[in-house]
Amino acid sequence: MAASPVSTKDIMLVIHDRPKTATRPAKASTPRERGSFLSRVDAKGSPYLFVAPFFVVFAVFGLFPLIYTAWVSLHKWDAGGDAGFVGLANYGELFGDPDFWNAVGNTVGMLVLATVPQLLLALILASLLNQRLRGLLLLRMGVLLPIVTSVAAVGIVFSQIFDRDAGMVNGLLGLVGVTPVDWRADKWSSWIAISTMVNWRWIGYNSLIYLAAMQSIPRDLYEAATVDGASKVRQFWSITVPMIRPALIFTVIVSTIAGMQLFTEPLIFGQGTFAISGGSLRQFQTVSMYMFEKAFRDFDYGYGSAVAWMIFLLITILAVINFLITRRAK
Amino acid sequence: MRKSSPLTYFTLVIAIALSAFPLYWLFVVATRSNDVVGDWPPPLLPGGNLFDNISRLFSAEEANFLKGMVNSAIASVIVTVAVVFFSTLAGFAFAKLQFRGRNGLLLVILATMMIPVQMGIIPLYMIMVQLGWQDRLQAVIVPFLVSAFGVFLMRQYAERAVPDELVEAARIDGCTTFRIYRTVVLPALRPGAAVLGLFTFMSTWNEFLWPLAVLEADNPTVQFSLSQLSTSYYTDYTLMFAGALVATVPLLLVFLAFGRQIIGGIMEGAVKA
Amino acid sequence: MSVRPRRTLLAAALAAALALTGACGGAAQEAGSGPVTLIVKTFGQFGYDGLYKEYEASHPGVTIKEENVGKLGDYTPKLQQWMAAGSGAGDVVALEEGIISQYMAKPDQFVNLLDHGAAALQPNFLEWKWKQALTADAKKLIGLGTDIGAQGMCYRTDLFAKAGLPTDREQVGALWPTWDAYLETGKRFMAANTGAHFYDSSGGLYQNIVMQQSDHTYYDTANNLVIDSNPAVKTAWDKTVAMVKAGLSASIDQYSPPWNAGFKNGTFATIACPSWMLATIQKQAGPENSGKWDVAKVPGDGAVRGGSFLGVPTQSKHQNEAVELVKFLTSAQGQTAAFKAKSNFPSSPQAIDDPAVQSFTNPYFGNAPVGKIFGASAKAIRPVYLGPATVAIGDRVTNALTAVEQGKLQPDEAWAKAVDEAKRLVK
Repeated sequence: MAASPVSTKDIMLVIHDRPKTATRPAKASTPRERGSFLSRVDAKGSPYLFVAPFFVVFAVFGLFPLIYTAWVSLHKWDAGGDAGFVGLANYGELFGDPDFWNAVGNTVGMLVLATVPQLLLALILASLLNQRLRGLLLLRMGVLLPIVTSVAAVGIVFSQIFDRDAGMVNGLLGLVGVTPVDWRADKWSSWIAISTMVNWRWIGYNSLIYLAAMQSIPRDLYEAATVDGASKVRQFWSITVPMIRPALIFTVIVSTIAGMQLFTEPLIFGQGTFAISGGSLRQFQTVSMYMFEKAFRDFDYGYGSAVAWMIFLLITILAVINFLITRRAK
Repeated sequence: MRKSSPLTYFTLVIAIALSAFPLYWLFVVATRSNDVVGDWPPPLLPGGNLFDNISRLFSAEEANFLKGMVNSAIASVIVTVAVVFFSTLAGFAFAKLQFRGRNGLLLVILATMMIPVQMGIIPLYMIMVQLGWQDRLQAVIVPFLVSAFGVFLMRQYAERAVPDELVEAARIDGCTTFRIYRTVVLPALRPGAAVLGLFTFMSTWNEFLWPLAVLEADNPTVQFSLSQLSTSYYTDYTLMFAGALVATVPLLLVFLAFGRQIIGGIMEGAVKA
Repeated sequence: MSVRPRRTLLAAALAAALALTGACGGAAQEAGSGPVTLIVKTFGQFGYDGLYKEYEASHPGVTIKEENVGKLGDYTPKLQQWMAAGSGAGDVVALEEGIISQYMAKPDQFVNLLDHGAAALQPNFLEWKWKQALTADAKKLIGLGTDIGAQGMCYRTDLFAKAGLPTDREQVGALWPTWDAYLETGKRFMAANTGAHFYDSSGGLYQNIVMQQSDHTYYDTANNLVIDSNPAVKTAWDKTVAMVKAGLSASIDQYSPPWNAGFKNGTFATIACPSWMLATIQKQAGPENSGKWDVAKVPGDGAVRGGSFLGVPTQSKHQNEAVELVKFLTSAQGQTAAFKAKSNFPSSPQAIDDPAVQSFTNPYFGNAPVGKIFGASAKAIRPVYLGPATVAIGDRVTNALTAVEQGKLQPDEAWAKAVDEAKRLVK
C-alpha cells in the first residue's frame, strides 16, 4: 500500500533471518480434532462477529436519529411542532441562504487555519519526543495538558487573552507599537483567535497519535539509514513520515471532520446571550452554530435538520478530497 | 538512537509552558476570592482561597458536583473499556482479516463520523423516552459503547503495528481468531489502544450537550454540574474555575496511568520485529 | 403530532430487540388518587424554594421536585425536545417571554388555564403581562406571569461626581426625563473626561427605548412584519445611533467577562438595570464598592425588559394539581416571596403595592428604595404587542448596533441589514 520504494517486509527480510517470535503464543492451540470445519467457520465468521458490535449499537441508537432528521428536514417546523410536509423546500431555501454560505466559508477558513499548522507542529513535536530524553514521561504528559483542561474554562481563558481592552495579546502587540485589535470584529482576527484555541488544544493530541505510530517503526531502519549517511531531517521525511502514513491519513480525516463540526470554541469566544450568531456580522459563525441557531433558537427544527444534512454532505466531500490528497502526496 | 540536543529540550520546554499556561491560569483564578477574570493586568499569582472555593463548590446545591464527578467516573470507565475492546477487535478485523464487504462496511463506519451530533439529540431523546432512560446514567453510556473514531484509529494502527507473519504463524498453529486477537494483536496494539483509552475517557468526561439534554440536575455528569454553577446573567468565575480544576484531577490521574502504558509500549516496540 | 405512529413502531422494535429495559424514570404516578409528585422545570433562579415548602405543608400528599437548568440558552433546547418527544416536560414549566411568544401561535401543547378558572385571576396581573400569555382571540391562556424585568438606571455616584454631575438619585432621575436628555447628559459626562464611558453597550438601551415608543414594535397585531414601516422602531434606532455617534458606548458585550469586570473597575457610568441585575452588580463590584452604585429612574415612561410565566404542559399527568401550584406560585404572596428571595420583580400589582416590596431598600446601592423605583417603572409602561419572533429580531437589531459600535458598518447600512435579516427570518 505504501508508495515508498522499500516496504517494511523487504527490510525485515534483509535485516532478520526470521521474524522474532517474542509474542508468539506459547502453546499451540487445541488439536486438529477440533475439525477444520470449526476453524473455517471461525475464519469466515469471526470478522463479522468482530465488527458487529458497532453496527448493533448504531442500529439501535444511530439509525433512527438519521432517519428522523432526514424526515424532519422535509417538513416545516415551528414551536408547535410539525407544520406540514414541504418536500425539498428547506434545501432549496438553504442554497439561497447567504447566512448559511457565510457559515460554510467561515468553517472552511477556520478549518484550514486550525488543521494545517496544527498537524505540521504535531509532527515536529512527535519527532522531538521520539527520542531518548530525560524526564520523558513528564515531557510527553506535559504537552497533553491542553486536552485535559475543560473546554469551557479554556474558552474563557482564550476569550480573555484575545479581549479587545484587557487581553494579553493586545497587550503584547501594544509593546511593539501595534494598535489593539478588536478580535471579534473581523473575520481574519476572529478566525486566528479561534484557530489558536483549537490548535493549542489538539496539537498535543495529534502528536501523541503520531508518536504511538512512530513507536512501531523498527529502529533498524534508522540505523541502516544512518550507516548510509542520511541526515536526521532526511530520515524524518523519508522514513518516519511514510511509515506513519496511516496515522497521518487518520489525523487529516479526523481533523477535517472535527473542523467542520467546530462548535464549542467559537460559541464561547462569542460572548453574551446571542453568542450563537458568531459575531455582530456572523464573522465566526460555523455551520454547526448556524444549525443550532435555526433549530433551537429560531424554533425551526425542520430547517436546522436540512442544514445538518448539508453539513454531512460537505464533510463527506471534504474528507474524500483530503483522503485523496494525503494518499497521493509523496 | 537519536541523541537529543539542548535545542530539543528548549523547544519542548516552551511547548509545555504554552500548553500549561491556561491550566495554570485556571488554577490562579480558582485560588482567588473575587472575580479577577476580566482584570488587566491579569493576575498571575495564586491567592489563598482554593479550599474556600472548593468547599463552596461541593456545597453548591444547584450543581450537585460530587454526584456529577461520580457519575462521570462510572460512565467514563465503562465507555472506555467497551470502546477499547470493541475498537481493537473491529480494527484488527478491518486491517488484517479478509472478508466480503470489508471496505464497504468500513466506509459506512467512517460516514457515521461525519454526522453532526447536535441534531441527533431530539430523536435520541425520543429513544430514551421509549426505553425509560430519561435522567438515568444508562442514557449517557449505552449509545457510546462503540465508537467509529475508535474503530478507525485502531484499524490504522493495526495496519502497521500487527505483523502479518505472526498472525499467519498463529493461524497455522490452529489458533482461533479470537485467540490471535488476544495473544498477538492486543499486545501489538498496546500503545495505540492506550492512546484510544485515554482519549475516550477524556471525551466521555468532557461530554456536555447530550448529558445536558437527557439528564437533570439531580443526576448530572460533571460538565453539566459545572454549567449549573452559572446562570444566564451571572457566573462566579472563581467557583467555576475551581470546579474546572477539580474536574481535571481525575483526568490527570488517568493520564498518568495510561501514560505509562504508552511508554511501556515503546519499549516493546524496540524489541518487536 | 404525526410523530406518534413512528414512536409506536419504534417501541415495538426496541422492545423486541432489547431484553432488558431500565426501570421507568421519573416519579410521577397515576393521576387522581394518592400522593402526587409535581415536577417543576425552571431556568435561572426563580426563588421558589421557600414557597415549595409552604405549599407542601399546606397540601399533604403533594411533593414538589424542581428540575433546574442554570442558563436559559441551555433550557430552551430541552424544552423543545420535551415538546417534540411528548415527554419530559414535567408538570409545570417556566416560559420566558421570548419563548411564550413563539408558542402563542400553537398553544395546544399547554393547558388552557382559562378552563381552570384562571379568568378570575386577571386583576392580579399587570394588564400587558396578562395579555402576553393570552391568544389573540382571548380564548386560551397558556401561562400566568411570574416576574418582570422592570428597569431602573443604575449609575456610579463617584464617576458622576467626578464629571460634575449631581449624585442624588432624585436629581439624577431629573437629568433624563427623556432619552434625548439622557443623550445630552451623556455628552456632558464624556466631555468631562473621567476615563469611563457613559454606558456599557447599545443593545440594552435600544431594547428599552423601542418598548416605550408605541403599542407595537416589529409586528402589528395581525402578526404582519412592520419593522420598516413602524416609525417607533426607526425612532428608537436613530436615538440609539446618536448615542453611539457621540461616543457614549463602551461597546462591551453584556454578560461577558470584561462586562463583569466593568462594574468593579468603573468602565461605564450607567447601565439600564432590571431588578435582578442588582444582585449581579453587587457580586461583581464587590463589597469594597458598596455605595458607589445607585439606582435612579429610567428615562421615558417606565421600562421593562423580559420576564417569565409558568405554564402546564398537556403532557402532565397531574394537570389539576399542577394548575393549583401555578396559581399559588404566581399569586401576589408568591411573587413577593420570590422578590425577597432573588430580587425577581413581581408582575402582580398587589405584590408591587405590598409594603414588603414598596419599602424594600437595597443597602449596597446606598439604600435606594428599589421597590418603589421599579414599581413605578413597571406601572408606567403601556402594553406593547410582541409577535412570535420579536426576540430573534431584537437580537439581530442588537447585532447591527454592535456592528456600528465596532465601526464595521455605517448606521444606514446597519439598519438596512437589520431590516433585511428580519424579513428573511419571518417570511
